[in-house]
Amino acid sequence: MKKKLLSVLLACCMTLSLAACGSGSSDSGTSDSGSAGTETQTEAADTTEQASGDEAADPTNGEVVDGKFTETRKITVEVYDRGNDGGSDPTNNKYTQYIKDNMLEQHNVEVEFIAVPRWTEVEQINNLLAAGDAPDICVTYDYATIQTYANMGGVLDLSSYVDDYKDLLPNMWNWLGETNIYWDKDPSTGQLWAIEGKLAVSNRINTFVRRDWLEKLNLEAPTTRQEFEDMLVAFRDNAELLLGADADKMVPFSMSYDVGWRAALLIESFIDPDVSDYEYYVNGFDDRKLTQNGTKEAVQLLNKWYNDGLIWKDFALYGSGDTTEDDMMKAGYVGAFMHNWDYPYRNGEDSIQTNLERLVGEDAAYIAVDCFEDSKGTHNKFVNGSVGDRKIFFPSTNDEPLASMMYLDFISSPEVIEYLQIGDEGVTHNKLDDGAVEIVAATGDDIQNSGFNIDYTITCNGLHLTDEEMTIKSTAHSYSGIDTELIEAANTICNTDTRANKNVNVGAIASEEGMGTALSSKRDIILDTAVTASVDSFEQIWDDGMADYLSSGGQAIMDERAEKWNATYGDTQQLPE
Amino acid sequence: MKASKKKASTVQKKTNLRVYMRRYWQLYVLLLLPMIYLIVFKYVPMVYIQIAFKKYSIVESVWTMPWADNHGFEYFIKAFKNRDFINALRNTLVLNLLDLVIGFPAPIIFALILNELVFKKFKRVVQTIAYMPHFLSWVIIYGLALQIFAPSTGFINMILSNLGLNTVPFLNDSKHWVATYIFLGVWQSFGWNSIVYLAAIAGINSELYEAASVDGAGRFKKMWHITLPGIKPTIVVLLVMNLGNILGSSFDRPFALQNNLVMNVAEVISTFVYKNGIKGLQFSLTTAVGFFQSIICVIFLLLANWVSRKLGERGIW
Repeated sequence: MKKKLLSVLLACCMTLSLAACGSGSSDSGTSDSGSAGTETQTEAADTTEQASGDEAADPTNGEVVDGKFTETRKITVEVYDRGNDGGSDPTNNKYTQYIKDNMLEQHNVEVEFIAVPRWTEVEQINNLLAAGDAPDICVTYDYATIQTYANMGGVLDLSSYVDDYKDLLPNMWNWLGETNIYWDKDPSTGQLWAIEGKLAVSNRINTFVRRDWLEKLNLEAPTTRQEFEDMLVAFRDNAELLLGADADKMVPFSMSYDVGWRAALLIESFIDPDVSDYEYYVNGFDDRKLTQNGTKEAVQLLNKWYNDGLIWKDFALYGSGDTTEDDMMKAGYVGAFMHNWDYPYRNGEDSIQTNLERLVGEDAAYIAVDCFEDSKGTHNKFVNGSVGDRKIFFPSTNDEPLASMMYLDFISSPEVIEYLQIGDEGVTHNKLDDGAVEIVAATGDDIQNSGFNIDYTITCNGLHLTDEEMTIKSTAHSYSGIDTELIEAANTICNTDTRANKNVNVGAIASEEGMGTALSSKRDIILDTAVTASVDSFEQIWDDGMADYLSSGGQAIMDERAEKWNATYGDTQQLPE
Repeated sequence: MKASKKKASTVQKKTNLRVYMRRYWQLYVLLLLPMIYLIVFKYVPMVYIQIAFKKYSIVESVWTMPWADNHGFEYFIKAFKNRDFINALRNTLVLNLLDLVIGFPAPIIFALILNELVFKKFKRVVQTIAYMPHFLSWVIIYGLALQIFAPSTGFINMILSNLGLNTVPFLNDSKHWVATYIFLGVWQSFGWNSIVYLAAIAGINSELYEAASVDGAGRFKKMWHITLPGIKPTIVVLLVMNLGNILGSSFDRPFALQNNLVMNVAEVISTFVYKNGIKGLQFSLTTAVGFFQSIICVIFLLLANWVSRKLGERGIW
């Protein structure tokens, strides 16, 4: 009898769980999210009509009084999870609490954070979008993803929201301005799928070398490409002197599998400084400049260096996010590398510079150098200007577009940015005598998982205090434990001879859709195999790789870009000023 | 159970079935759980195979998505025009074939050797050690492989270069990489896979060995004439299942082991699908590829099964 009872019970349990599964999946099914998308879109259309019909009418239909919703709304916001050592839960810590409390108080909006791993963000966002679980406010560096989903109808058109609710969004409009808000607006359809976050600091990339090694070998900091190469050779030949027993671990120049980024300054120095806007745009799909003129020569030089034993032999074997290379820098085996303009100084106690001092000695340091001259003898450093950083979009499952907009407004207000970036006085920062702010490495709940909490200030990347003068003064003090001289040198060098990207907006390029990942992984393979090829086979490998790249979609993109350029700007080779 | 089945099929089917069910219904209720699992997680998702024939849209239901061009076969045509896919197809076949040729006999040989060991404790220790790698994730194995095989920091190459010898590009040259890939695969799985064979060997009647000894058979003769024939049905079943998987590909092993320098031989279908589908958002294309892969696998399985039955073995059905 007992047995029977048990079986019946089990059977019931199973049927119940099955039923639960069934109803659950149909609830969250894609068909529903689709109708939600159209609903919100029609809603938006309605409000637009009303707004245009009667200027004085409230675009929110009385839902918002004094910037506050009459009924509590709930939104979800994406935040990067960097998984850093000793970090806090990115969805629940002191700073998220600050945001939650203030959003509730100021706008009556409840905020929930959804963590997305930083190094696989595109994949993760794809999965969330496909499952209909994407956060209401999504952030990504990859516009192609947004465009692809927009083509499927999975992204909200923001054009009406930014305009209709302009009065409710003063901070956002002040901070981002027309440039960043309208940057991605389609010129023919007027659709706006994403808003460009702003780079408060457009510093991009620097070359770093070991200052103490230069001193030991009586070398000056290199100022030309040739001097840089000579320096690498000197490092290689003096490994015994510089590293002693660890001489076999010597790496004169290190990079990662992502050669296009980690040798960007070298590659860009080979590009014709007089390249026309047209040519630059047509070849501009690949952000590592694979098809630009001059890249081949640059990679050929890297290939020579590799075969001369100047480049880390294992660079292509480690995937993104791997810390092996950083560990080698920290241990003091690496002579030179290129990376983000402040890379060795980032991360407080765990920074490369601090580790280097601990493990090698007080005088060990990486300094920035400026040594890749272009064909005119000056430098040609491409920077993004205020755009080209993170893009913010709302998936069509977002049924609180207004509340989400108000979140963007909140997170763009100068006071909020300042608090999130520097935290509390005495805890995460100290005030210096001249009023500048010095960042202190915090631990526990006060820790900033990303430098200046940029993962929370999604509309602002880089230090931005309410007082502009103080921002400049504070930048050098914002790396705790690092000699301000090093930061100032890095800051100066990456800001000399720069060249900002221009906005060529000719509408969506259909042939680019879905090609981003395939082509960029092809690009990495071409660069990696070309660098590691034997000197004799370089030409062959490069040409084969390029032929494959172009026939796999690269050429189609270039052709369409050329065609769209001609349709928009005519025969001219330069953008109108 | 067999007896009652037979009974039910002879006379008075209805009443017998009722009697049978009254007696055994609990067993069927217990069977429900795995059945439900299979239906929910293996059969219901098959609805989405349609994506291969439709233009994928994130917001539409799979039933309302528009059909792809060329009578729905647009993405299959695209796949076969895609050099990367053809390349991945070739690599999958080559790597799996090598795995089969080298990896399949390894556990059989290991089981045979282990079976000959007299000292029980030693046998158990060896067995346990051989199982261990099976429980390591491929990511960890790649970490180990880097420590041992990396060109400049790898343990073996450091020894070689200290001895003044040329280093071996285990991981960064296509041919060497394939060898490393196969070697690591065999290393990881031979111990675990030998369990089945050891169990089969244990089931062989020991009188056969005694009789053979009396007839003067040596160790190898016994192995060849008794042990191997004794486990032949097991070998055939596993071979059929392996052949069925000749175009299948695990994801974690190639994904963890591959790097950009050897991608021409390391990209397999599963990683191609991951990169182009999940990362590259080409869901229809990669579903088509996955569907094609499944069909080929089923064909191979049926074929291998048919051949083995023709040869007088049991097969898996």
